Amino acid sequence: MIRRMLLLGLALVAPVGFAQVPGANEVRATTLANGMQIIVWPDHDIPNVALYNWVHAGSRNEAPGITGLAHFFEHMMFNGTSKRAPGEFDQVLEANGARNNAFTSDDVTVYQDWFPRSALETVFELEADRLQNLAFDPKIVESERDVVYSERRLRVDDSHQGRLQEQVQATAFLAHPYGIPTIGWPSDIQSWTIDDLKRFFSTYYAPNNCTLVLVGDVDPDNVIALARKHFEPIPKQEPPRPVKTVEPEQQGERRVAVNADAQTPLIQFAYHGLAGSDPRRPALDLLTRVLTDGDASRLHRSLVEEQKLAISADSYFTAGFDPGLVWFFLSLPAEGDAKQAEAEFTRQIERIIKEGVTKDELARARSQALADFWRGLATIDGKAQALGSFAVLQGGYQKLFDEPRAYDSVTQQDVQKLAAELLRSTNRTVGVLKSPPDASQTKTGGAQ
Amino acid sequence: MSLLRRIVIVVATACSLTAPAGFAASAVKTPNFEKVKLANGATLLLMERHDVPLISFTAVIRGGALTDPEDRLGTASLTASLLEKGAGNRDANTFAETVASVGGSITTGASTESISVGGSFLARDQKLMVELLADVLQRPRLEQAQFETLRDRSIEFIRAAKDSDRSELTPIYGAASLFGAHPYGRSVGGSEASLAAIKHADVRQYYTDNFGADRVIIAVAGDFKTAQLKSLLSRAFANWGKAGKPLPTVPKQTEITARRVLLIDAPDAVQSYFWAGDVNVAKSDPRRASLDIVNTLFGGRFTSMLNTELRIRSGLSYGANSRFDRMAEGGSWELGSFTRTEKTIEAIDLALATLDQLHAGALEKAQLESAKSYVLGQYPLGLETASQWAYQLATLEFYGLDRSYIDDYGNQLAAVTLDDAKRVIDEVIPTSRQLVLVVIGKAEVIRDGLRKYGPLTEVKLSDPEFQTGQ
Repeated sequence: MIRRMLLLGLALVAPVGFAQVPGANEVRATTLANGMQIIVWPDHDIPNVALYNWVHAGSRNEAPGITGLAHFFEHMMFNGTSKRAPGEFDQVLEANGARNNAFTSDDVTVYQDWFPRSALETVFELEADRLQNLAFDPKIVESERDVVYSERRLRVDDSHQGRLQEQVQATAFLAHPYGIPTIGWPSDIQSWTIDDLKRFFSTYYAPNNCTLVLVGDVDPDNVIALARKHFEPIPKQEPPRPVKTVEPEQQGERRVAVNADAQTPLIQFAYHGLAGSDPRRPALDLLTRVLTDGDASRLHRSLVEEQKLAISADSYFTAGFDPGLVWFFLSLPAEGDAKQAEAEFTRQIERIIKEGVTKDELARARSQALADFWRGLATIDGKAQALGSFAVLQGGYQKLFDEPRAYDSVTQQDVQKLAAELLRSTNRTVGVLKSPPDASQTKTGGAQ
Repeated sequence: MSLLRRIVIVVATACSLTAPAGFAASAVKTPNFEKVKLANGATLLLMERHDVPLISFTAVIRGGALTDPEDRLGTASLTASLLEKGAGNRDANTFAETVASVGGSITTGASTESISVGGSFLARDQKLMVELLADVLQRPRLEQAQFETLRDRSIEFIRAAKDSDRSELTPIYGAASLFGAHPYGRSVGGSEASLAAIKHADVRQYYTDNFGADRVIIAVAGDFKTAQLKSLLSRAFANWGKAGKPLPTVPKQTEITARRVLLIDAPDAVQSYFWAGDVNVAKSDPRRASLDIVNTLFGGRFTSMLNTELRIRSGLSYGANSRFDRMAEGGSWELGSFTRTEKTIEAIDLALATLDQLHAGALEKAQLESAKSYVLGQYPLGLETASQWAYQLATLEFYGLDRSYIDDYGNQLAAVTLDDAKRVIDEVIPTSRQLVLVVIGKAEVIRDGLRKYGPLTEVKLSDPEFQTGQ
């Protein structure tokens, strides 16, 4: 879901291997007097610009009663200000050739605009207006509440992967708010108040809590001048209260079962992992690539190709402000044996902990990461995503350009050590979704 | 929000290679490329792009689901999937390791009209890239064990899809219901039932009949020297023979004269996913610019009429959109959305009423100008990378179009008048009475309400077929 998009984005920002990224020395960064950070990377290939405004607020900043609120803002931010009627934001942008979108994750909410260079100042005006003057019309709030609920039904209630993932994530965290589903629990979606919204907005939608990234056919001096004109007058706010909760170490494997009328059973594994700024992130990326990236990867080969216990084996990991989760997803064939699939998965994990990865496997994972790095930087959109995620979540945008070196320096021992530390069964939550026994009897002739 | 916003956008770009009025200045022009026709009929297209050290390719084989045996739908798709499961002197494992070890990617797939092989490699690996592509197309192993694994897995993927986002399934049921026995109605990936009927020999026969130099277009863009790559590709493909059979002709599609309904029962669904469509124009239709503008305004962007009614004004849905699916000899125009079960009829009524509004002349000059700017402003974003250019070149060649299809589009958009737009609404966009309506949802709640739209056929989501004999 939304969260997944962010992470896929991060995964693209993998390693280089080639020393220099063309144009890297043209990146300009500055901080306005009100604390807003601006990063500009000129790229003149096409006459367009990608703008990403990273607001440092996600479901991590929520609590029972207001879960899903960060994501709800992703919707409300398009719905009018004290100066502009609902709908005007989109109408003006589209009439100027621009398209916009946004996504929310555990850590951040990111507002994106893609537009022809001629629309630059219009976009700045509109973005600054909604950051400063957002309106809270009760009628719009109610209508948008229904829209968000529809999104929840699409992604969670009517999707078995979504349903299971929500339960696994909530089970994996006892204390840390990373256990909160970004879309929000249904009862909270139905009951936020206007006061909840106003409080959240004034706390988190402050210029000193934003990182604005522009990549494309622009002159950095001009962009910074426009930022001073439109964003600098917005007053700074008291910094939000930091999230201090640290997830206590897991004491043993946790399990969660979801009964659903499923044609194909699902298994998910979530291990506690790393924060974005952890220097071992490249090693974790290489470890998960050895396990699931492509037909030559270990889990694909053993579970899908050789033993046919699963029809797909995938993974991704979250690495934000705090340690996230390393996820593995298995889809089983219709009458698949969940116990056997889990046993083989566990056997493969134990093997990598005990024997590590081979030299060839590591080299292969590195090459895949290198190529993905370049594919990610082939578009202005990919560059804006990468710059922003490094600036906000991974310890500074300059680290983007160090990625090649960071990946080159990962050794077989690093990968094995990390596997042993993270992929312990006591550090994981296992979720299984399948039809309850009575349902499957009618369906599969009592195969259980 | 993201997803639907995104869908709206993808749709808009897909039907709108653009560039409007006074703004022709910012339109993208096709960079130079070289076209080579080999003696055996293979077509090569080469475009140098040196911004990142990558080379991307798109190879297209004419045929696709159009050339599926009628009782074995999904054969082209299975053949496509098998291409990279071992080719030349590499078995499946060695092939996968070879690609991964250099950080390359090769993906294969089928569509209604073609099979395609796309990929990208680091520039330093161009020789290997050509070798692997040549093996995949000319020397795939198509081994029995791999075939059986893939066929069984493909059946499971369809089952898994039925447990996931149902809005992705409505277009499959929609095309099947709209086109019936016409080949444009075929489920490209087959169905649980049709895949189960396919034998290993069918795939081998499909390959012999449908793969050959006379069917192939290979477009490459990226960080290479044209002379060198041309020589590598020419040598690699010069000795390939012709496909065993000629391409079939596509019969004329049947117009929809009266509305009918297909209901697919998903007893556990909490939302209804609906789709409505009609047969429509081909890729080469000269009214393209007007069509793209009209669709952008009706259902091709966030502020479109449809999304405004179903999402922004009523909160009935996370999103609603419409699109053209234009192919060589025709195609479809369709709209889609979803809403919670109890609101199904209200949402469908609203979608149809919005279509009536379009026909009633709701379009104004300011909207027309806005759509022109939008289509033009977004146009360059689909023509940015080597991989996008490889895809575009292959597509132009496939449909017999030339670079003016891209280069003149801005001027064509600029020239569209309100009268042009109104004319295509009359001539091309179906009325709300001319549609096939498809709904996936909880039948016991919505069945009776749906009857008012026309004769209703009901099937189960768990049925192993997409074709309904409607």
